[in-house]
Amino acid sequence: MLLLAASYFFYGFWKIEYLSLIIISTTVDYFAARYIHEQSSQLKKRIGLGVSLLTNLGLLAFFKYSGWFMEDVLFETSVIDSETLNSFNSFWDFALPVGISFYTFQTLGYTIDIYHGRVEPERNPLKFALFVSYFPQLVAGPIERFSHLHKQLFQDVKFDYRNLQKGGRTILYGLFIKMCVADNVSPIVDQIFANVEGARSLQLIIGMLLFGLQIYSDFHGYSLIAIGSARILGVELMDNFRAPYLSTSIREFWSRWHISLSTWFRDYLYIPMGGSKVGRTKLMINILVVFLVSGLWHGANWTFVIWGAMHGLAYLLERWFISRDTARWLDLFKWGSTMLIVFVAWIFFRSPSLTHASLYITEMIGGEGTGIDLDWEPYVASIAGIFILSDIRLRNTSFDQWIDERSVYARWTVYGLLLFFILGFAGTVRHPFIYFQF
Amino acid sequence: MTVGLLALLLWLYPEGAYLHFVEGHADQYLQFQKVKDCDVIYFSASSNFPSEFVEEQDPRKLSQFIADDFPNLRFEAFNKPASHAGVFAHLLEMFRKDGDAKTFIVTMNLRSFGSDWVYSELETPLNQAAVCYNHRPNLINRALVSLRAYDDLSTEERVALRTQAWDSDPLPFPSPMNTVTSWCAVEKWGDWRNPKRQLADQFIKQYGFVLNEQNPRVQDFDKIAKMAQEEGWTMVFNLLAENTQKADSLVGSELVGLMNDNADWLDERYENMGIPVINSLNAVDSKHFTDKDFPTEHYDDVGRKIIAKRVAVALKKELAK
Repeated sequence: MLLLAASYFFYGFWKIEYLSLIIISTTVDYFAARYIHEQSSQLKKRIGLGVSLLTNLGLLAFFKYSGWFMEDVLFETSVIDSETLNSFNSFWDFALPVGISFYTFQTLGYTIDIYHGRVEPERNPLKFALFVSYFPQLVAGPIERFSHLHKQLFQDVKFDYRNLQKGGRTILYGLFIKMCVADNVSPIVDQIFANVEGARSLQLIIGMLLFGLQIYSDFHGYSLIAIGSARILGVELMDNFRAPYLSTSIREFWSRWHISLSTWFRDYLYIPMGGSKVGRTKLMINILVVFLVSGLWHGANWTFVIWGAMHGLAYLLERWFISRDTARWLDLFKWGSTMLIVFVAWIFFRSPSLTHASLYITEMIGGEGTGIDLDWEPYVASIAGIFILSDIRLRNTSFDQWIDERSVYARWTVYGLLLFFILGFAGTVRHPFIYFQF
Repeated sequence: MTVGLLALLLWLYPEGAYLHFVEGHADQYLQFQKVKDCDVIYFSASSNFPSEFVEEQDPRKLSQFIADDFPNLRFEAFNKPASHAGVFAHLLEMFRKDGDAKTFIVTMNLRSFGSDWVYSELETPLNQAAVCYNHRPNLINRALVSLRAYDDLSTEERVALRTQAWDSDPLPFPSPMNTVTSWCAVEKWGDWRNPKRQLADQFIKQYGFVLNEQNPRVQDFDKIAKMAQEEGWTMVFNLLAENTQKADSLVGSELVGLMNDNADWLDERYENMGIPVINSLNAVDSKHFTDKDFPTEHYDDVGRKIIAKRVAVALKKELAK
């Protein structure tokens, strides 16, 4: 009860009226799940699932995509005129509810699981409400499964020093990544992306690489803070990242990047569409659909669609033309080509429009910009270097696990260093978590 | 080893990374370290500087002209553009804790009390720098900057506050010109493309306010006056000249009257607190103002000397007490 109140307070603190959206989603799915579970007829089960899908995707479509659909689709194709668009914009002038893409997917996953009989519905509405709104992961994930979270959430929690220790140090490492890496890199990225025509080719390449570093450290840092906060309360959330930039294929990248989302799409979209047990053409279409939806999930803009499409096409090419069992010496080449795709795709992800992204790429390849003076603090490269090295070291483990195996002196040295860096070298520009906008 | 390593880092930090940080973000902290034992400190914004665009016989700073009258005293000036009493109060706190200076001239810029300056987007970097003008361990100051433990409103938020003030703060003018916004809406010099109209609007935006105790800048000056009383400092407030002739010709005598009323209000308030206010509001002729397309307190050398002389006379009187 206390956790539920805290979660609602946390969300309502930002915009109290948007609490109603969580409550709508929670109420509909609570009853839909029970209805689906109680029905023996497949048709009735489907109706229950349809209500849940319509409600959650409807909320998402309405708040996240309606403006884009009106402007970029209907207006651009002359279905509506500018007067209609303006009156729509002035009427529907609202901010995107924070975290709507995350909690709607989490609760949708629950009703789909109930539909397939994978879990039993939660009888207690307050407990279910807590599952939907659990504050550490409410606004930007990890997107949890009911089967993984519910037992942990509803158990009696007693104070455990081990949880405090593990959660505390995970938060500390997350803060280091967010505050020292992401927040120091972000002003440089902003500067480069805002001055595409003035920047030299090399600066644009640096901008692309730094945005890759920024979005990873920003989101990974957030995820670790969420995981650590939950751990202190005795709840283990799933890992969201495992050194994605060391991947040697797009397939591997997606098993290491935003894991809670990629596995959600695998379990609730890709597999229900037939998974890999369909013909080649259908499989290709299914894979592309998953990546396009994944792109669109991030935001209502064609740039995200192209970003998803680039990953999807690269995935398909890889699947059919590159064997997974190649000689080890080819790994470096595979890593390089994977990173090339991933980082070029980031340009679309970061750009405000397709025109901007195309300009960025054109200028990056053969631009004639004379260069811009970058506000580059000399220590940023060192801190980024420390993070990259630590990511390589933690490739097949987690920070918590790695440090757990060190001596007490080594542990406290690392804690001290992390704290020293956070206090002495964190970024100074206001830069909210990137994924809060999704 | 752990303790040794961290102690080494903490020892190196102030002379390395922190020094570099304050050079870029809070340079007046470094200036304080250099001038803290001077005799007289002059606080101002950009009004202290000569204009880059006007050729002058004596292109020295206003503070240097004042110093001419005190050859035996060591003079230094803090003169960061857009600075104001809120920043001066932080710097004076540093003098209180770690400085030897006992005499201060604090510029009182009438424009700085208005909403355009109070809600200026330049406030963010100034407030950020002010965090470092505190006697705390360097690492803590640096961390507070990162955590944005200061007034860190976005430009949009500041613009909204400014617009709200212009929309709602009443002016003592007859309706419908009794707020800044409504005043600007009235056609006076043709439409908005007319440069005279633009300048007139700027004058009303800069000086169209009625001072009271709730004004944030008044509260800053109150803090400074209190500090001076507690420390027994010799202090004068230098209320700068504004281009009242231009204000009169573009807006009318009602605005000049309001500006003088506000100046008198300040004069009386701080005289009562024991701090003399050198009221130079109307002391400089319009031709000595160097900016022609925006109301500022930037003067040519003649204008700067007029102000300097008035300050020097008042300061001599104070030092003789």
